Amino acid sequence: MAGRSDAGHVMWLNRNITKDRSDRRTLSRLLADFFNLGSGSLEGWVKRRFIEKFYGSSPHPFVLSLQNPSRAVLLGYVVEHQHFLRQWVRSCSYIMARTDEMDVVSYELDNINTEYGGVGTGQPSHYELLLRMGESLGLDRKEVFRMAPLANTREAIRVWDSICRDDHWVEGMAAMHGLELIANRRLKGEGASIGYFDPAILKNEEISDQAKAFLREGYEADVGHSEQALGLVEKYSRLYGNVDDVQATFLRSIYYFDLYLMARLERSRQFESS
Amino acid sequence: MKVPEKGCAICQATWGDYWEEIEGQRMFFCCDICAIEFRNMIDEVKKRKGWKTVDEIKMTGNYRGRECTALYQGKKYGFNIRFDSKGGIDLFTERA
Repeated sequence: MAGRSDAGHVMWLNRNITKDRSDRRTLSRLLADFFNLGSGSLEGWVKRRFIEKFYGSSPHPFVLSLQNPSRAVLLGYVVEHQHFLRQWVRSCSYIMARTDEMDVVSYELDNINTEYGGVGTGQPSHYELLLRMGESLGLDRKEVFRMAPLANTREAIRVWDSICRDDHWVEGMAAMHGLELIANRRLKGEGASIGYFDPAILKNEEISDQAKAFLREGYEADVGHSEQALGLVEKYSRLYGNVDDVQATFLRSIYYFDLYLMARLERSRQFESS
Repeated sequence: MKVPEKGCAICQATWGDYWEEIEGQRMFFCCDICAIEFRNMIDEVKKRKGWKTVDEIKMTGNYRGRECTALYQGKKYGFNIRFDSKGGIDLFTERA
C-alpha cells in the first residue's frame, strides 16, 4: 500500500516507523519492534504510544493552546466536546451490553455517572460542567445544542461508534478509555513533555470559576479512569488472546482523536472575533 | 524550482511513487495529500507576495507545523504553516 502511495499508509509509516523506504524484511522487523510489548505491559505500551503522539517533542496543537487558554479555545472545546460526550455514553453502553464481566460493568457504570449522569446536585457530571463553562463564557447551552459537529468530530464519532458496536468489547475499552490519558497528569512523570494544561491556570483570575471546575474535574478523574480501564484491558486482552487487535484498534482510535482535537481548534476560530 | 534532492517535496519521505506537475515542474511526493499541501503552499505564497513563482521553499518541522522560508529572485519570505488532514491550509502566519 505504501509503495502505491496510499496516503493513509504512507503517513502512518512516516509518523510512526520511518520515512525511509525499506525492504519487506526491514519493514517487518521495524513493525514488530513497534508493536512489541517486550517485558513491559500493554498499559505501558499504550501510554508510550499516546505520549509520543500527543505529548512528544511536537505536542498536539490543541494541548499547546490549552496551556493558557483563550475564551475562544474554551468555547471551541465546549461545542465539539458536547458531541464527544454524547457518543461517550453510547460507547460505554455498548461495552457494558457486550460483556459478561461484572468488574467491567461496574467500571463503565461509574464512568458514565462521572462523565454524564452526575450524583445529585453536589457532584455535577463532566457534561454539565462543560455546559456551565460555556455559559460562564457567554454561550447559552441552547445555542450549544443547536451547533452540529464539525466534519472531523463527526467522522471520529462514527469510528468510535463502529468500534464499540462491532469490534470486541476489550478493543472498545482500549479505544475509548485510552483517550482519557489526555488529562492524566501522571504522564508528565512518564515522559510527556507537558501536561494537558498548566495547573497554574486553576489559580488564574482571568479564567472563570466554571471553567476551572470543568478542567479540575478532568484533572482529578482521568488518572483513575484511564489507569483502571487500562488495567481491565490488560487483564481481558490476555484472557481472550486479542492483544494484537487491541493495539491496532487503539492506534486507530488515537488517529481519530488527533483529528477531533483539531476540530476543537477549528471551532475555536469561529469565536476569535466574537 | 529547487526541491529536496531525495524524497517527497514536503516531508522528504521516500515511500510511495506519486508524481505531479507543479509550476511546470514534475515533482515527487510520497502521497497525494503532500502534493495538495505543496500546491496550496506555493499558491498561498504567490498570492500573499504577488510573486509570479517561487524559486525554493526551505522547511523545517513536521506535520504538526512547519517553519518555512520562501525564496524568489533574491527575496525572502518567512512563514509558519500547518495543514489539515486533507492538505488544506489550517494555519498560516507570517514571520518577521
